[in-house]
Amino acid sequence: MRMYEYVIRRLILSILVLFGVSVITFYLARGFPGAISPWSSYINSRMTAQQIQMVIHEHGFDQPLYIQYFYWLRDVFDGNWGQAGQWANGLPVYQVFMSRFPNTVELALVGVVLTVAVGLPLGIVSAVRNNKPVDHASRVFSLTGISTPTYWFGFLLQLVFFYYFFIWRLPYLPNRGVVSDSLQGAVTAFTGIPILDGLLNGNLNYFFDAVSHVILPAITLSFTSLGALTRLVRASMLEVLRQDYITLARSKGLLERVVIFRHALRNALIPALTVSGLLFAGLLGGAVVVEYVFSWPGVGWVSLQAVFQGDSNFLMLYSLVTAAIIVFANLLVDILYAAVDPRIKY
Amino acid sequence: MTELQKEPIRKSERSAYAEEVRYALSLLTKNKLVLTGLLMSAFFVAVALLSSLIVPSSAANTFNFSIAYCWSNPYFNWGVQSNPCPAGTNFPIGTDGYGRDLLSMIILAIPLDLQIALTIVLSAAAIGIVVGAVAGYVGGWIDEIILRVTDIFFAFPFFILALVFAAILGRTIQNLELAVLLVWWPLYVRLIRGQVLSEKGKAYVEALRALGVGKFRILFFHLIPNSIYPLLVQATLDIGGVILVFSSLVFLGFSPTPALPELGNLAADGIEKIFTAPWLLVIPGLVILLISLSFNLVGDGLRDVLDPRLRR
Repeated sequence: MRMYEYVIRRLILSILVLFGVSVITFYLARGFPGAISPWSSYINSRMTAQQIQMVIHEHGFDQPLYIQYFYWLRDVFDGNWGQAGQWANGLPVYQVFMSRFPNTVELALVGVVLTVAVGLPLGIVSAVRNNKPVDHASRVFSLTGISTPTYWFGFLLQLVFFYYFFIWRLPYLPNRGVVSDSLQGAVTAFTGIPILDGLLNGNLNYFFDAVSHVILPAITLSFTSLGALTRLVRASMLEVLRQDYITLARSKGLLERVVIFRHALRNALIPALTVSGLLFAGLLGGAVVVEYVFSWPGVGWVSLQAVFQGDSNFLMLYSLVTAAIIVFANLLVDILYAAVDPRIKY
Repeated sequence: MTELQKEPIRKSERSAYAEEVRYALSLLTKNKLVLTGLLMSAFFVAVALLSSLIVPSSAANTFNFSIAYCWSNPYFNWGVQSNPCPAGTNFPIGTDGYGRDLLSMIILAIPLDLQIALTIVLSAAAIGIVVGAVAGYVGGWIDEIILRVTDIFFAFPFFILALVFAAILGRTIQNLELAVLLVWWPLYVRLIRGQVLSEKGKAYVEALRALGVGKFRILFFHLIPNSIYPLLVQATLDIGGVILVFSSLVFLGFSPTPALPELGNLAADGIEKIFTAPWLLVIPGLVILLISLSFNLVGDGLRDVLDPRLRR
């Protein structure tokens, strides 16, 4: 199969998968009116029973599910993706999502950078010093990270770096939000990402405030997700170090440093890059628990609210966008693999 | 002659197998970390089995708000309705918001959490074995359909899907288990499918087929048993993961009853009192961490032992 045939086949499959996602979410969000009442977004407490019936009829909620799907599609092509409930002031769902998305991007970016910055060296060291004390320490560290309840770690950080630091009169870190309330809207939102906006506006005060807000959530995020990366880097590094060409490099009398960084690391890095890329893609869907614990106004927290409010329109948009990000990230990774590695043929 | 030869060969085969098991065990226990994990998980399982002997289950329903109104709390906060007691002589690690001894509640919660995790992991593994083996062995359009369905599940934001299932199904422990199971099974399907696919091409399968062994028999008596080790590793690791996910669901507000002694629920009780009674959240969370860590240590060690490339 040629490369472009493969890409086209994968694209078609991706669209099928996304269609499947939308159908499943639609069924879950609309098919159980007892749990999630789909029309709750369109009604308020001042309406009479008759008016409510009219609203239900107007938006097609009294039709069979498969016809409701077309009503929903019409809203999608309007560009609004339907209306959100009172919990989001009844704004168009698309607007609600886009206003929170930059915050999630910021948290995901900082979180992934931290994860890679810690996980990568840790994995390399524990492979090079296999079965030495460093390796054992790194194993305990990464397994502890994997086993840590995210909410617990987040609140623990808040307790120490917010509450106790405040009591001990140390410079404490904020425990909620993306910027301090007093600085809300202090800069022009070019990108919507607070840290970047602070820089672009040259407002250092705002920049450092945004940075101080992102530290604790980002640490929580990366501590609980770096275990997987560390173990993977270690495994692939061990695999590479066992190859013949490494033995050859060593027997040529190269320095161990050169062997590891020039010869081994480059080949061991590919899986690590994949995992960090996919981790980033996954985090763009919002880290629900971290955002909840740190009151971080991102898409994860807002989708949690949508679940509790039974907002079917928001859940549809949210699951489709996050699924699309994951599906296309996977596709991109596979294509990049083929482009980088001549051994891979499709 | 053949009769004579048969016996010694069998014996040596059996002793080779025993040798292999002994070697695997020695590898496992030689590693101090894995040994720690084994001991820790044995401890938690023992606590779970003995919990009804240590703490009467009625303790969960015995609220004592006069104790809860605890004046000796150093963080006492005027205006706060009830304040749990800190660690003291009567309560080794303090009381919770309902005036119950927190240690007793944790001892009651451990069997519940372990049981939930086991149920979910075993069910997911069972679904994975059947569906994955069929997909891998039969192949063709059945495989294609099963693959696409798992693709859809992998594309979903996993946690939100579990939340939506939980919201739809309603708040009972069984429904929450079902919600987690519904997002967990595709992983096992993929795992077993991959294993069966790679085993299918091997020479012994060809030999079995040549001997006239039935398809069904090959699949269930040869392919699946030979693919079971990675499943074992994954299941051990997942016991830790499932406890985390389940307790997060409960923590985020899907608790069946407010006073349920479940570790995530005990921790959730502490959110509002995080600065006045930190032990409410810190200690149950720490117990979750330790349970999850012990199974992860064992699973990680198992993976090393079962990986033929890392041996000898």
